[in-house]
Amino acid sequence: MKALDRLLPLIQNETLKIWKKKRFFVIVLVLMIIIPIFTYAQHRIDETNKKNFKDWRNELVQQISEYQNTLSSDRIPEEWKRSRRIAVQQLQYYLDHDVNPNSPDGVTFTRSFLSNAVTLFFPLLVLALASDLVSGERTSGTIKMLLTRPVRRWKILFSKLVALSFYVSLTVVVSAVLCYLISGAVFGYNGWGMPVFTGFVIHGSSVESGFAHAIPQGLYLLMEAGLIWVSAMTVALLALMVSVLVRSTAASIVAMMAAVISGTILSNMASSWQSAKFIFSVNLQLTNYLAGSPPITGMTLGFSLVILACWGITSLIVSFFVFTKQDILN
Amino acid sequence: MRSLSSGNLWKIISISAVLSTLLLVAGFGFAVKDLLYPRGESFAGRANVPALPAGGKLSEGKNIEITAIGDSLTKGTGDASGEGYVKQVVALLKQKYPDTSVRLNNNLAVNGLKADRLQKLLESDKGYSFALKQSNIIVFTIGGNDLFQIASGTSPGKAADGLKLDKLKSGLPQGLNRLAQVVKRLHAINPNAQVVYVGLYNPFYDIPEYRGGSLQIQQWNEQAYALLHQYPNMTMVPTFDLFENAIGRYLSSDHFHPNHDGYAQIAARIVQSLE
Repeated sequence: MKALDRLLPLIQNETLKIWKKKRFFVIVLVLMIIIPIFTYAQHRIDETNKKNFKDWRNELVQQISEYQNTLSSDRIPEEWKRSRRIAVQQLQYYLDHDVNPNSPDGVTFTRSFLSNAVTLFFPLLVLALASDLVSGERTSGTIKMLLTRPVRRWKILFSKLVALSFYVSLTVVVSAVLCYLISGAVFGYNGWGMPVFTGFVIHGSSVESGFAHAIPQGLYLLMEAGLIWVSAMTVALLALMVSVLVRSTAASIVAMMAAVISGTILSNMASSWQSAKFIFSVNLQLTNYLAGSPPITGMTLGFSLVILACWGITSLIVSFFVFTKQDILN
Repeated sequence: MRSLSSGNLWKIISISAVLSTLLLVAGFGFAVKDLLYPRGESFAGRANVPALPAGGKLSEGKNIEITAIGDSLTKGTGDASGEGYVKQVVALLKQKYPDTSVRLNNNLAVNGLKADRLQKLLESDKGYSFALKQSNIIVFTIGGNDLFQIASGTSPGKAADGLKLDKLKSGLPQGLNRLAQVVKRLHAINPNAQVVYVGLYNPFYDIPEYRGGSLQIQQWNEQAYALLHQYPNMTMVPTFDLFENAIGRYLSSDHFHPNHDGYAQIAARIVQSLE
């Protein structure tokens, strides 16, 4: 209890420091701009579909047929065909059970926005928070004041970590809430109880639906947010480590962004390079497991979680080791 | 926010952050439990029953709903504008019946589709039967790939060398048998719609050694018509004559599929047959 008494003021201090840097305002502002744009785009798509199709079932049938057409083409890479085959079988499952997978409502929009944001957008927001956490203090020189206080160094880094986690959680929740509120104004605020299918088991390119089951979309959204939080936290831990290691904030942002972006590119090419699945950024898209389409053949949620945990724990160890041992020179 | 003291601000941030974290961790827990220990659970759902359109004369009904199924001809392969005959049929019907709403329900054609596969789709695919049940016009092409495969022993779309006309002759009954199954399923799904089958043509009429194939194609067309004749709502439009002397005008550069003008002629014939 006594240790906590001494830690709490430190955490409070770090939390307020991030708040005063107005990073969180920037994140909220970015969300307030981006979400209406996507909402409008989605609205236009819905309008077009409404004009062309009498019923969502017709639209779904057409989509399945188009996917089947790409499957018959010899020019399409095998990896794409595999994901298309999986998608066809899943859409067929929705159709067979008469459930609309893209019903136009706020919750559905939020669900698809979040799952699309998990590879690049959330890491970017997390980097905005985390990248200058330590390197920023170094640039401004405040690190000397911080470290000359009679507080153990690990406590300082730990309080930074806790404050960072606070904002990562807030970012995920605020994104979901804003997305729901903004898109709901256009699409309506319902869709919580709509059934969504999960638990498809993928073998190669065939989908086994024996374990597929329907869950309410609200719960699905919660699960999705939880998975996003885990991948965002991994990015945060790595960014913290880079921020400890690299002196310049700009360099630490660039390094992390390069890692995240190359991960998304690699996961598209991973069919020919299997070892890419050990890179953290290939594993960030945890929400795909929920939808039932692993990024690389044979990858499972357990595998990705272990990989992310390894990267996260390693970066924690490195951060604390370096931060407590390094000399602070000018 | 400026009015908040930093103590209060800290309380608000920390409490909401801790609550958010707990919520997210719970969500993560649910997700892991659900994904690592999935429990198969049957979801009954509802049966998707489309509203059936009225049968009878098209000019008397309020709307015309078209569903197209079949192979690359229905898909419109070879037409640089992407319209194929299906979209042109829709446009022509709009001209023919200006007071009626005409819409394409679905074009479910798949490149390279063969009759046996189509029959399976009609049997098991709920999407197909859903779309077909809604419509009062069904247009389809099928059989070309079956015959091509029978004649060449390879997959469709490959080079034309090595076609065996005698194989085509012996394989004809097999292909027609598949067509008969398709027609039967189609009638079972929607007995009221006007069904138009587009007859086959010989895309190799201008190659002397394959010119004889036209006779086999004609055999196919004749027997296909006999199959459709059993059902008063079904008919067939011929296309073989378009691709004989005018083959250069109507065939696309792949020497297999019609081009835009070729599809336009097919569309015109389909629309002529509908009333």
